[in-house]
Amino acid sequence: MSASPVTPLVDIRDLSVSFPQHDGVVQAVRGVTLHVDTGESLGIVGESGSGKSVSCMAVLRLLRSPPARIEATALSLGGVDMIAADKRQIADMRGRVAAMIFQDPMTAFDPVFTIGQQIVETIRVHRAVSKAEARSEAQALLTRVEIRNPASILDSFPHQLSGGMLQRSMIAMALSCRPQILFADEPTTALDVTVQAQILQLIKQLQAEFGMGLVMVTHDLGVVAETVDRVVVMYGGKVMEQAPVQDIFDTPAHPYTRALLASMPGQGGGRQRLTEIPGASPNPANPPTGCPFHPRCTVADTRCTAAMPPLQGNGLDRQAACWRLT
Amino acid sequence: MTAALELRGLCKSYPLREPGGWLPRYRQLPVVRDVDLTVERNSIVGLVGESGSGKTTTGMMALRLTQPTAGSVFVGGVDITSMDAAALKPFRARMQVVFQDSYSALDPMFTLAQIVAEPLHIHGLGTTREQTKTALDWLERVGLHRSYGSRYPHELSGGQRQRVAIARALVLRPDVLIADEPTSALDVSVKAQIINLLQDLQAEMGLSILFISHDLSVVRSLTDKVAVMFNGRIVEEAATEDIFTSAQHPYTRSLLQAIPVLNPRDRKDRVFRSREELEADIPRLSAADTGLTPANVPRLIPHGPGHRFEAIVQ
Amino acid sequence: MIPFILRRLISVSVTFVIVSILIFAMMHSIPGGPFDAGDMPLPPEVRATLNERYGLDQSLFTQYINYMSGVLRFDFGIPFQSPGETVLELLGRAWVPSLVLGGLGVLIGTPLGILLGIAAALRRNTWVDYLASAVATLGLTIPVFVTSMILILVFAVWLDWVPASGWGSPDKWILPIVAYATIPMATYARYTRSAMLDTLNKPFVTVLRAKGLSETRIIYQHVLRNSAIPMVTVFLPMFIGTATGSIFVEAIFRVPGLGAYFVSSIRTRDYPLEMALMLMLTVMFCLAYLISDILYAWLNPRIRAGGRKG
Repeated sequence: MSASPVTPLVDIRDLSVSFPQHDGVVQAVRGVTLHVDTGESLGIVGESGSGKSVSCMAVLRLLRSPPARIEATALSLGGVDMIAADKRQIADMRGRVAAMIFQDPMTAFDPVFTIGQQIVETIRVHRAVSKAEARSEAQALLTRVEIRNPASILDSFPHQLSGGMLQRSMIAMALSCRPQILFADEPTTALDVTVQAQILQLIKQLQAEFGMGLVMVTHDLGVVAETVDRVVVMYGGKVMEQAPVQDIFDTPAHPYTRALLASMPGQGGGRQRLTEIPGASPNPANPPTGCPFHPRCTVADTRCTAAMPPLQGNGLDRQAACWRLT
Repeated sequence: MTAALELRGLCKSYPLREPGGWLPRYRQLPVVRDVDLTVERNSIVGLVGESGSGKTTTGMMALRLTQPTAGSVFVGGVDITSMDAAALKPFRARMQVVFQDSYSALDPMFTLAQIVAEPLHIHGLGTTREQTKTALDWLERVGLHRSYGSRYPHELSGGQRQRVAIARALVLRPDVLIADEPTSALDVSVKAQIINLLQDLQAEMGLSILFISHDLSVVRSLTDKVAVMFNGRIVEEAATEDIFTSAQHPYTRSLLQAIPVLNPRDRKDRVFRSREELEADIPRLSAADTGLTPANVPRLIPHGPGHRFEAIVQ
Repeated sequence: MIPFILRRLISVSVTFVIVSILIFAMMHSIPGGPFDAGDMPLPPEVRATLNERYGLDQSLFTQYINYMSGVLRFDFGIPFQSPGETVLELLGRAWVPSLVLGGLGVLIGTPLGILLGIAAALRRNTWVDYLASAVATLGLTIPVFVTSMILILVFAVWLDWVPASGWGSPDKWILPIVAYATIPMATYARYTRSAMLDTLNKPFVTVLRAKGLSETRIIYQHVLRNSAIPMVTVFLPMFIGTATGSIFVEAIFRVPGLGAYFVSSIRTRDYPLEMALMLMLTVMFCLAYLISDILYAWLNPRIRAGGRKG
């Protein structure tokens, strides 16, 4: 790595995404800044409605805009400005520079084509190779994602395979063009616990092997504890805290992060009442004023209702947005 | 004291049509094999397993929503396995259910008050006005304001809908509640709320709960006893902390090691074994050491107070 | 697959027999015979002789057996209203115009309708969408005889581009084909639009975009194929229904097709012709549905390739 400052692989600055609806505007993302460096793995943790998935979809321009309104000071992928890019550039970036895997593998594939056809298609859209070559690459990829009978899977239709097999196939498809970064949007939520563990381990291994960046979007802190180097905690469309993963778990700064960690079940010691976070997630169509967490925060004061606290750092690698920390 | 719910030797097989051929030919696919499970009064029992383990089918058989192929279901000591609909009706009031998908569990055409009052209506308890009042009381009890009674399911969030489903299940003050993955579709911060709600209601009503789940972390914080199902059978059963600290069966151990760590410093690389390998890896114990009669088939053998697991005794 | 087809063919045969009995019974339940009424009432003795000659004095059961045994030999009898030829010859003669005009109408209307539906789905809620939907709705709600008359009025009378009626030369075919085409066009426009919008909302389409496929490729390679499978199955029955001739279109455009005979054979108690027409329709529809089902099973990977593997 050179000594001079390197442009991050993913650079998001002050991103806002809103969706006009017939009865108002849904503000899914409100001023989010985060970045991912080459080879680094970032976890984005948040509940539904926090804006974590929408932020990633915005980078790949997967949101239909219009109707979505995407605004940002910077939104770049591999150095390319994704807001200024035209349709062809965007299609070129997708799959080749950045790939994405999604939550439900059962609905992620086109039901009328075989897995093999869909992986081959991905390869041939970005590179000039023959069908036969692409097919043998696809088979090698399926072997790499630990599928034991790749030739048979290549010729199978999605409905014939289990969730675990499909998720592995989707990973193989995403990696087929050796992207520089992989976005994984809740990839294991729909899977059994042992399959989840296998898939997470596989993703980590492949990330190291391919030297890719990884963005793991999840609501499960356990997934984050297993997989990533750095964590961004999102709530109500904004970034609440950002830190290396060990710091998030050992010394969480933001009240929301602390509350999330305290409410995790399964911490041992037998049957017990959990520390719950009262209330419900904010409505993106009508978010609270100021800090989005204040209605549920145990240490909120008048500053929190008035204005959103700025993200303040420790000068190194941690940042949190909370009035109580200033 | 008689258990609230007892399952003895429950089996369920489904006929599968053999492909091809002129006349239809069927073979039996066993989904649940010989399940014995007891839920004592005033306790929460966890039934864990992955997809295909048969845990949901077992729960459905306990409720007689699916008819067992063999075995018996006892509610409060009474065998309800072959009762007809009329005889079963009062027992239905004593066993209720909450499902995973709260969205499809509530009829979108009814208000919340109507939904929660419906069981009272079905069993003819009280006047309409009393039923409505009871329903609204229950909405409050599960953490929703009384005014929600006139709202419709689509106006609520997932967690709120699940609260309504719980209220509806408990309005008849059943002895047994069967909860099939009630928190799996919920957001992180709401999971804890629902778990706490179930704990509180259980303690308050002396309810017995059979909690079916694949989420071991939730089960650890909620249950007194856990039974682990694999391929249609119970392979291990013990008090909850015993399962998590001294599991004996290979499948249970593989399940436990797959749980995501709670802190990044505990990260480890895992070795995974396929289902076939796990199926074949049945613990073998010697008759001499354990003092049990040998047999060639795997069966549940005791291992300590309230702890048993499947093994072959040679 | 073979056992499936054979089982269906058996059920088609059973349907055929049941329908034949029902039609025969209903036919004869209408009072009167072929030789009773008319402009020139016949003397009773002549009527009796005619009835005897055509076997109409025998019991219904005997008449049925006689007729059906003929059917099995492809002998459908002689039409009372046109004794100079057999029913088969009459059908052969009369069906050609219906088949040509109705068939071409469907073959032209269907692709037009699909294109209209695609345009509407891709340009949802724009003027293209509204125009296409309006055309589709009008095509389905305006009765075909009104459409025919409007077509004649505009194109034959006012603009004088084409002849108004007749069958002889191809330029006379244009208006009836357009009239026939309106229904398949409207049906497919509506269907294609909703099937495509449905498919476009599916998660796998987002995945296709994330892979870097161009929007064009996504639409034509993936979305259309997914929407098409059910559309294919509607086609054959629609074709049969249209290609057997509409009495309205044929009357207005003076086409000597099959349409008129459906009604006239009932009115004139022309039993052989009536039976033949009904049986023909029955068999054709049954076969059309059978072929559609086979086609659907073949096109749909869920059925073609079978169930779970891993």
